[in-house]
Amino acid sequence: MIKKIPWWVGGLLMALLLLFSFSVLGADRPIGASTYVPYFAGMLFNLDPEKYTYLTKINNSGSWEGVMLLGVLFGAFINAIFITKTFRLTIVPAAWKKYKNNSITSRLVWSFVSGFFLIIGARLAGGCTSGHFLSGMTQTAVSSLIFGVVVMISLVVTGKLFYKDKADV
Amino acid sequence: MYDKDSNLFDRFLSMFQTVQDEGHGSVIVVFIIGILFGSIIQYAKVHKFEKIAGFAMLKDTVVPKMLFLAIGVASIGLFFMIQLGWASYHIKPIMLGGLILGGIIFGVSMAIFGKCPGTGPVSVAEGRIDIMVGAIGGILGGLVFTLFYDKFQVLMGTSLGKISLTGYFEDTNGIVALIFGLVLVAISFAIPLLEEIDEDDVGYQKMKL
Repeated sequence: MIKKIPWWVGGLLMALLLLFSFSVLGADRPIGASTYVPYFAGMLFNLDPEKYTYLTKINNSGSWEGVMLLGVLFGAFINAIFITKTFRLTIVPAAWKKYKNNSITSRLVWSFVSGFFLIIGARLAGGCTSGHFLSGMTQTAVSSLIFGVVVMISLVVTGKLFYKDKADV
Repeated sequence: MYDKDSNLFDRFLSMFQTVQDEGHGSVIVVFIIGILFGSIIQYAKVHKFEKIAGFAMLKDTVVPKMLFLAIGVASIGLFFMIQLGWASYHIKPIMLGGLILGGIIFGVSMAIFGKCPGTGPVSVAEGRIDIMVGAIGGILGGLVFTLFYDKFQVLMGTSLGKISLTGYFEDTNGIVALIFGLVLVAISFAIPLLEEIDEDDVGYQKMKL
């Protein structure tokens, strides 16, 4: 059974999936993956959409992405258990140990904080790697090109400043 | 959609009803798009911390190579599908404040978290506890954004329109789409292949044999 695909196979398959989602045969809409987060927040905290207008605005796209997310979780879990065999409970990623530190507390605190701001950033920009990068740039959208350039610079600068250059052995 | 007596379960069910009524693919189709989306990411391993934080450190280039190839190929395909009436544009507005401020915050967070909102769920499903903790942070981020949406709107600024390159160069849009796509494909192959490997990754080790 195949457990890994090369980057170019992944890229071609992703292009086909994007086109399927855009097509009238598929969903007639782009793939996005950050609107579901405030949508679920509204659901979990049972917020009134009439009071919080953002929830009314994102009701349709949040629902769509919410169902898609369930598919992602379901598929990835089944794959991880039966095919890729990559399911295991871990806390600190290998490269974090190599280029940052061995501390569980450090990793969890940084994860929580970066998870929080990841969503603030995505919602400010109106999209993420899926909605802006993949789906937006596929449409040659200027907004997505601006987002793409800003994110690439910010990502690489942070990578340079936040992590150690040489690995701890 | 909402009444004050509705509970979590009602709202969860209404999510499926909304999708079914909206006409952007049936619940099953959307669910399958999710399975495929997650599986492509998972098999290509681009959800791994080593790949995303590794890209931020310029020690791994699988993420940009795959991303640019996917966009390049899909942009050419989408242009012709739209010409044939098989799809339509869904362009996001240019809101400079939101794009620049949001982009900076997103890039910093992505480098540290080593995930984005589309790849994080794959890692959660593989049992990564740090990403589950980050997801709780993300839900709270979504909550804060919803509660203070009016304040965030001020930061985002006003829309300068929904502009695309193919829309702007209307007369030559076929050539523009083709050049745009081919340049991205060329970039994806031109970026040298670097890989930062997670030695604990069972699937990868089996592949190497």
